[in-house]
Amino acid sequence: MFPRVSQLEPSSLFQESIEPVYRVRGLTKVYGHDATEVRALTGVDLDLFPGELVVLLGPSGSGKSTLLNNLGGLDIPTAGTLTYQNQDLTNADEKTLTTFRRDAVGFVFQFYNLIPSLTARENVALITEIAQDPMAPEDALGLVDLADRMDHFPSQLSGGQQQRVAIARAIAKRPAVLLCDEPTGALDVRTGITVLEAIERVNVELGTLTAIITHNAVLAGMADRVLVMSDGRIAEERRNATRVPVSDLEW
Amino acid sequence: MKGQTLAVSLVMACGLAMMIMARSLICSLETTRDEYYEHYHFADVFADLKRAPNDVRAQLTQIPGVAAIETRATGRVTLDLSGYAEPVDAMAISLPDDRPQQLNLLFLRTGRLPEVGARGEVVVSEAFADAHGFVPGNTFPAIIRGQRQDLYIVGIALSPEYVFEARPGETLPDNLRFGVLWMNERELSTALDLHGAFNNVIVDVAPGEDNAPVIAELDRILAPYGALGAYGRKDHPSAVRLNDELRVLHGLAFAFPAAFLSIAAFMSSAVLTRLVRLQREQIAQLKAFGYSSQEVGWHYMKFALVIVVIGTLFGTGFGFWLGANIVNVYHRFFRFPFLPFRPDQSAIAIALCISAGSAFVGVLGAVRQAVRLPPAEAMRPEPPAEFKPALIERIGLSHLVGVSLRMALRNMERRPWQAIFTGLGLALATGIPVVPGTIKEGINYLLSFQWDVAQRQDVTVGLVEPGSSAALSDLRHLPGVVLAEPFRSVPARLRFGHRSRKLAVSGVPRDGILNRLLDADGHPIPLPADGLIISAKLAEILGAQPGDHIQLEVEEGERPTREAVLAAVFTDYAGVAAYMEINSLHRLMREADTVSGAYLSIDRAKWPDFLAKVKETPRIATMAIKESMRQSFKKTTAETMSMLQTLYFTFSVIVAFGVIYNGARIALSERSRDLATLRVIGFTQGEVASVLISELAILTCLALPLGLVIGSGIASGIVHMANTESVRLPLLLTAHTYAMAVLIVLVSTSFSFFVVTRRIRDLDLLSVLKATE
Repeated sequence: MFPRVSQLEPSSLFQESIEPVYRVRGLTKVYGHDATEVRALTGVDLDLFPGELVVLLGPSGSGKSTLLNNLGGLDIPTAGTLTYQNQDLTNADEKTLTTFRRDAVGFVFQFYNLIPSLTARENVALITEIAQDPMAPEDALGLVDLADRMDHFPSQLSGGQQQRVAIARAIAKRPAVLLCDEPTGALDVRTGITVLEAIERVNVELGTLTAIITHNAVLAGMADRVLVMSDGRIAEERRNATRVPVSDLEW
Repeated sequence: MKGQTLAVSLVMACGLAMMIMARSLICSLETTRDEYYEHYHFADVFADLKRAPNDVRAQLTQIPGVAAIETRATGRVTLDLSGYAEPVDAMAISLPDDRPQQLNLLFLRTGRLPEVGARGEVVVSEAFADAHGFVPGNTFPAIIRGQRQDLYIVGIALSPEYVFEARPGETLPDNLRFGVLWMNERELSTALDLHGAFNNVIVDVAPGEDNAPVIAELDRILAPYGALGAYGRKDHPSAVRLNDELRVLHGLAFAFPAAFLSIAAFMSSAVLTRLVRLQREQIAQLKAFGYSSQEVGWHYMKFALVIVVIGTLFGTGFGFWLGANIVNVYHRFFRFPFLPFRPDQSAIAIALCISAGSAFVGVLGAVRQAVRLPPAEAMRPEPPAEFKPALIERIGLSHLVGVSLRMALRNMERRPWQAIFTGLGLALATGIPVVPGTIKEGINYLLSFQWDVAQRQDVTVGLVEPGSSAALSDLRHLPGVVLAEPFRSVPARLRFGHRSRKLAVSGVPRDGILNRLLDADGHPIPLPADGLIISAKLAEILGAQPGDHIQLEVEEGERPTREAVLAAVFTDYAGVAAYMEINSLHRLMREADTVSGAYLSIDRAKWPDFLAKVKETPRIATMAIKESMRQSFKKTTAETMSMLQTLYFTFSVIVAFGVIYNGARIALSERSRDLATLRVIGFTQGEVASVLISELAILTCLALPLGLVIGSGIASGIVHMANTESVRLPLLLTAHTYAMAVLIVLVSTSFSFFVVTRRIRDLDLLSVLKATE
């Protein structure tokens, strides 16, 4: 079982005394061999703290997704160490990673990946049925403003609505971490905003450590911390003094 | 695709193998039979009589329509084979001394025919010689009408009139205890007390002439000589058995292959529909580059071609292999000089056409779907699949079904035909093993009904000539005889309306307890004081019902024709029989207490004494030992049954495995994104596997009972088809048979699930999530 992060006072955030949720040291990921070798990550050092919202920027191929996949237990590093709540995930086996994903991580992808044969409510219920301390599917959908669309099938929902169902599905188990890979990549601006608002609300109301990958530099404003990646490493890290609410971001 | 193509091909191959096997066997048996009958001049009409002087022969040759005629001396002889306690009997048939055989020519396997004038030289039938290991040069003692004589084997031969070499009226051959001997006419007729006379006539009817007038004329001329009624080939015991077998094969050649091939057609359609859906974009690009719909269609038709080629290769090979093996089994029942396996060339052509037809029909739908799409539309990703709540939810029972069950039910409703055909395929797989199971149970029941419940005598002995009560008393005093019940057997023709059958009517004592007549439930039927009681099958053949008056034309003694009321019918499963109360039969024959033989119950401890004494008793012509018959029957059927069972079980496993494998692979491909998503959000491999297979598991559960119904239907059809005068099987559908069928399907589907769900491990979670819809 993976420990869950208790809700923390926002004022206590980011102090050196706080134990990070993730501790990443020298994280390296290499795909392929010899001639086809691709070094996706080359020695990333990073700590991620409870409740913070981190935005990862960077060009395609800079290693953002690889980093996120390693954090989410979808992939294992080639070298370096990765610990979650002091538990080593570097050499975790498939079973450990499955339990980790089930208990601790919520994912949101560019494509919504809803099960087409299940309604919005049932897609969320998939998770709540296997989670340890889930919220009701209705509450999760309420958080993303879909209370009135609960019995619709994916084919009856717009792209933005589908993505919000995906967010509800990701957060219904009250995960310690919410990992979002280009969550608005397939959406128009207006729809994208509603989706980001939902993510922001989850981060604030549930105190979920949230990491968002995006190509859109505007989103940097909504973050506590912005990481810019380049060539498999973190090229730049900056901290926002105050977070700009999504609704106030300048597009 | 390789696994799926193979799965479809194998199911198709099963159907083709079945058809090619059956058709080739039909071809082998029919062609061989026809050639044999023709080249060895198998007679068209046969007649037995008591005794006619050789002068009558000239009269017979004058019958219009007769092309050739042969008069012979025939008789049952007892053989005393050393090292063989039980008596063995044989049919001895004369060979003309002064001219070559004209009809029913012998095929000499080894040795030669008896030399004219030489004494004691015989040719023995091959099946009998094989069973005893006889070769030319061996001698054995025989008892012919009480005279002991040493016979010297000079040759081993086969005859077209003994393709099925069994004692008249017996269901299966017992080559250890019954054989055929051919001897010089003069010697045999003297031994049989027929010097200058004959008691058997065989006739070749001229081409284009009808048998019936010849038969009538034979009966008329031979009537004064104790004629027992002439009959044509269609009533010849050996020919009838062969025809019965061919009829069963004709049925097998059609029903099963049709079922297998329709399932294969569906499977190829499902695989290809999926393939086309996956390759929408490539199809669009090809069409955008200027390929015509026909060219694109042809591209996918090649898939059907591959299936057909593999299926036909496997099916033909397997079918020929099976056929060649089963021909060897037939060789045990049916004796031909050669029974070569003749692959039915036309069957290959038919197989190719049918399988190609079914595969092309199967893929046609998918291909049409593919080529109909305008390129621009095809290049866009397919819209998300539309679903609606399943029926069970719409009627308000949604709380009863969990999430993965819901997914399965909704998916089935969205693709009903896919579900229906998958279910039908599994049902077929479940139904197939019911067939051999039912046949096996039927045979076991038949054995115990016939030989434990109905016939409780140990031995049935027949006298050379009907005797008086003194003869019965002699039999009673044989060592070890505990109980002896007489029977009187009279050859007669039973006629009702325009239908008739020739058989022996047996008179048995009313208070007899050994040979009992039973109803279908196994309860004894009291013997009516007057009138006939006949096999239910015989009543069916005659079209008669209890209460009807049946004409009884006795073909012995004064040959009286009488009317007898059909008092009741009884149940039996091999051959047909007619009984009367023995005194009633005596009255009919206007005779005193004549007996033809007796049913004996023997003290086991005195068995060897009994056998030894019987061998020395010349009056006893025939002896049927129940236990030996049972052993021989078991031995012959057991092997055939286990072969049949293995064959059907194999087919069942292939279909069950193939259908599930194909279904699961398609589901895996269609739903790989869903499954990967579930893995990503924390479902274990096992949980994902259960989501994948739940739909197929539901279909399996639905298919099992349906399959048992289908299997019972097929089994009852086959039992019905095999319901012949020689053997009838009761239709016994037992829990054991059903359990076996269910077990076979469950094991094969589980293995199939296991193979496919292992692939869940290899799902690439990342690439699936990155790919566009």
